[in-house]
Formats: sequence, C-alpha cells, structure tokens
Amino acid sequence: MKYLVVSLTAALTALWSGSAFAEGETIAVFTKNLTNPYFQAVRVGTETAAKTLGVKVIQYVPTKPDSIPEQLSQVEDVIVKKPDAIVFIPVDYKALVPAVEKINAAHIPVTNITDRSAAGDFVAFVGADDYSIGLAIGKRLLTAIGGKGNVIILEGVKGSLTSTNRVRGFTDALKDFPNVKMLASQPGNFQRLNALQVMENLIQSFPQIDGVLAANDPMAVGAIEALEAANRKALVIGINGSREAVDLIKSGKLLASGDFNGFIQGCIGTEIAVRNLRKQPTPKEVMLKPVVVDKTNFAPYETPVEQRTCPTLEQITSN
Amino acid sequence: MSTATSKAAAPRFALSGDVMQTLYRVLAVVLLCLMLTALSDVFLTANNILNVLRQTALLFLLASGLTLVILTAGLDLSIGANVALSGCLAASVMTLTGSPLLGVATGIACGTVIGLANGVLVTTLRIPSFIASYGMMWMLTGITYYYMAGETIHGFPPGFRQLGSGHLLSIPMPVYVMVLFLAIGALFAQRTIWGQQIYAIGANPVAARLSGVPVERRLVLVYTMSGAMAGLASLIILARINSAQGDIGEELTLPAIAAVLVGGASLFGGSGTVAGTLIGALLLTLVLNGMNLLQINSSWQPLATGIIILLAVWIDTRTRRVGE
Repeated sequence: MKYLVVSLTAALTALWSGSAFAEGETIAVFTKNLTNPYFQAVRVGTETAAKTLGVKVIQYVPTKPDSIPEQLSQVEDVIVKKPDAIVFIPVDYKALVPAVEKINAAHIPVTNITDRSAAGDFVAFVGADDYSIGLAIGKRLLTAIGGKGNVIILEGVKGSLTSTNRVRGFTDALKDFPNVKMLASQPGNFQRLNALQVMENLIQSFPQIDGVLAANDPMAVGAIEALEAANRKALVIGINGSREAVDLIKSGKLLASGDFNGFIQGCIGTEIAVRNLRKQPTPKEVMLKPVVVDKTNFAPYETPVEQRTCPTLEQITSN
Repeated sequence: MSTATSKAAAPRFALSGDVMQTLYRVLAVVLLCLMLTALSDVFLTANNILNVLRQTALLFLLASGLTLVILTAGLDLSIGANVALSGCLAASVMTLTGSPLLGVATGIACGTVIGLANGVLVTTLRIPSFIASYGMMWMLTGITYYYMAGETIHGFPPGFRQLGSGHLLSIPMPVYVMVLFLAIGALFAQRTIWGQQIYAIGANPVAARLSGVPVERRLVLVYTMSGAMAGLASLIILARINSAQGDIGEELTLPAIAAVLVGGASLFGGSGTVAGTLIGALLLTLVLNGMNLLQINSSWQPLATGIIILLAVWIDTRTRRVGE
C-alpha cells in the first residue's frame, strides 16, 4: 500500500512537471491498441524522435483494442486540449474520417501514419504498403520451396484493409509461380489460437503442405505449433518483423517475416509533424520499402526498440 | 419455470429430464456430423475426430465452470480477461523460474482469486453478476495490457508443452483433461448436495434460502470455480500455442457463453447440465472444423456459423416438442 502511494505520488509529480515545465511543442499520438507489439514499436518510435527533437508526445490508445467509438471520443477530447500537432493512425480507415474532419476544422496539423485514412487533409502520409510487403515476403517463401509444391494462406480479419492487401500481395506472388498450388485460403483473424486451430483442421485435409503464408506473425506462430504437433515440415512466413519472429527465425522455425517497421513509421511521422510546425519543408508522402527479415539480416532487429535510434527523414527519403 | 421448480423439489426426476435434454442436443450434433461425413472424405477419420476433441477441450473447460454460474442465474463475463491475465502471469513465472509446476500453480491460483473476487462482488457488495464481471473484465484487461506492454512471451519447457500438444496412447492430453473435468463437473452438479443446492438457487433463490441453503457461500463457490477453470484453460492455451500475448482470451468469452446456452442451459438459471455444455462446445468446434475442411470462403464463414447454430438449436427444440 505504501509503495502504491509512493509510486502514485511519483507518477503525479512526473505528470505535473511534464505538463508545467516541458519545453517545445506537444504532439498527440493515436495508435490502435495496447496488445499488438507493432503499435508499441510505433509509440516508442514517436517518443525516441520526440526526445531528439525536443518535443513532448502524449499517447492516446483505445482501452478496448481497435474500438471505433473510443478513438472517436479520444479525438474529441484532444481537440479540446489543442495540442500543437497530431500523429494519427485511424483504428478504421473509413469510420474515423469524421474525426479527421473535426481535427481539420480545429486547424490542428495532422500527420497520418500506417493506415491511410480514406479522406481528410493531412500534412503527410507515412507508411509501408501491405500489398508490397505481402508480395515481397510471398515471393521469398515461394522461391524457398523451390517454386513448386502446395501452400496455404492464413488470412487476417475478413474485411480489414490490412488483411485484404496482404493477401492480395500473396496471391499476386503466386501468379509468378505456376507450379505452386494454393490448397486453401482460410481466416485466422490475426490471432494465434485461431490460426492454430485452422491449421490443425487443414492438416487433416492435406497430406502434403510445403509452405504457409500467414498475414501476421502471431498467426505464423500458430501455424508453426500446429505443424510441429502433427510432425509435419513446412516453411512458414509471417508479417510484422516482431521480436518473437526474429527469435523464431534464429531458431530456424520461421523462414522470414515481412517488416512493417512501426518504429521507423513512428520516428518519421513525428519528425514530419515537427518539421511542419517549424515551417521546414516536408514531403507529402513517405513509403517505406518492404524489407524481408530472414536468417541473413535479422541482427539489427535483435536490438529492443527502446534502444534503437531514429533514422532521419533525409536517410529514409534518399535511399 | 415449472420444470425448474420440479427440479429443485425432486432432483431424481430432474436428472432423467436433463439426460433426455442432453440426448436431444446430441441429435443435432449427429446430424451435423452426418452432413460433414457426406461432404468431406477426411471428416470421419480417427485423426480428425481426435483433432476436433482436442479443440473442444479448451472451450469446454472454460464453459464448464461458467455452466455452474449460469445455473445460479448469474453470468461471468470476465472469463476471457481472466484467461489473458492468468495465462500471462503463468507464462512469465514459468519463463523466470523455468519451473512448469510453479507456472501451473500461478495460472490456477490467479484464476481462482479472480473468481473469488467476482463472488465477493456479487454476494457481499450485492452487485449484479453481469455488471460485477463486466467491471472485472475491464480491470483485468487493463492490468494485463499494462503488465505485458505489447510484448509477447514465448517458448515454454517441453514438459509443460505436453499438457497441450502431448499424447497418451495416441489420444491428445487436453482430451484427458476434458474427460476428467466432465466427470468431476457432472458428478458435482448432479450427485452432491452442493450441486443440488446450486440448481435450487437458480430455480428460486428465495425458496432456496428459506429451505436453509447457504446461498451466498454457494454463489461464491460457483464464481470461484468458474475463475479456477479459466485459469486452467489459460494453461492449455499456453501449452498449445507456446506463447502468451495480452489478448489471448479476448475472443473466448462469447463462444464459452454460447457453448453453455447451445448446450441447453437457461440464462434464467436452474436448468442445464455440464454434459450439455460439452455438446454445445463440440457443436461450435465442429462448425469451424467443417468450414476449414470444406474450405468455405472466408467471406461466407460468419454467415454459415450463424445459420448452423440457429438450425441446431431449432432442431433440438422441435424434436423436444414432438417428444412431449
């Protein structure tokens, strides 16, 4: 109890000093949830950039993951508090358009990252497109199985833009490999337990599976566990470039993971927001190149995001 | 309502009524199995049946504890969040100490304590169970997210993994756990005084109290048992997916409630059985298995799920009416 009081006091003091003595601009950052490591990386990216740039960031995350009403009301609250700028990931690219319009009406400059909003005025968009990553990582797997054999696709949440585009990347990659047969494409809802059960069921139908294309890392983990339990061997890929994926790549269980690099998106989004405030030139769009993390290049990903340094806008746009 | 009161008054008759009810539910499952056998040549293989049972085990464990709560006309909405917190704590204890035993103890202890807290909220503070467990769900989710900070824990000792992916005489371990708790749950609910008191509370709490049933203590017991089962279920999940993440239990609460209700229990309390819940869990698991085996397009899967569940319950109520 005493500890609780002490830490509460400490937290309050920190909050107080944070709001009273902070120098520089305040930036409100919106992410989708507290559960997906990707958004944690985004938040760390914004904070790392903020330190270098001498600004203050405040994080807004729906307590119920990906909740549209919660993010809407958070946006309304933030408009009242009037931060200098906003870095925004909509939980839904269409449903949050009215919120973006409110931000625009309040004349708070907003930078869109990760998921492109369907409408609204933005300083810039920073992202890596799901389709290119799906295509690149898909080709990596199909080449690794020797350009022939049977594969399975594990889709994310049906109807989500992320899943649709990643799966479209996978299926387009398949077009270059006429000798590969797609046995099934079934939804695992981006969840590891779902993916595990779907994979267990599909294993019953197909005696020979050579590759699994999972639309995110947790589903890839589910697939790996199902294959192992059934004593089957198949190459598996995921998307996210998460720390868990890197560990599995190291141990040879996962072939590769498409890197979406939330950390860099957080860095660059924040840098653009600050440059805009300081009347420095900013690009209208920054698309990060798809990176396939595998056995040959995983080393930099082993550094925890908290210890990484932000690349500058010049470094990203020049190569 | 009349069946519920007769249950409280004459348990022996209630038992045969419950057995009949369970048999009607079995019919719906058998029909679904026949359909899947006709449509898929791998459905009726030993491997796939064991696969379905292994998947059913998880949902059943979660739903079996919940059945007792629903029998008292209560609800536990916190089981999914309970699974997440119990699972994440168990995972971190196991990773830190390297001891599967300590991990298992942590998971079950955490689940039990959460259940006990629900019971206290419902009895001592007299908060309706729906609200009490809804509030509990948010608190647990908050603690879990804070604790995990978006990270995942993965890679557990092989001994522990046996609980989820191991086999004994070529039958998956979770199936044994399921059968064990089916036996314990059915015996407890149907054959013990406490079990009969739980039915009595659900049928008519006032009458139960007047006839000397310690209502508060039994309520605390059912919520505690539901919490403990959630703790146990979280361990099966960990052992199966070899990892823990803050959202592992999220999408399990509604299917668990559905399993209990499809299995024949009433939200008004006093009617339902643990065996019925097994049938409910089996039915829901078969739906996913069938859709994967038949490779139904992902766009149609939610619609198909809804239709099959409604059809199954409709067939059940129809046949029961004919039976009467």
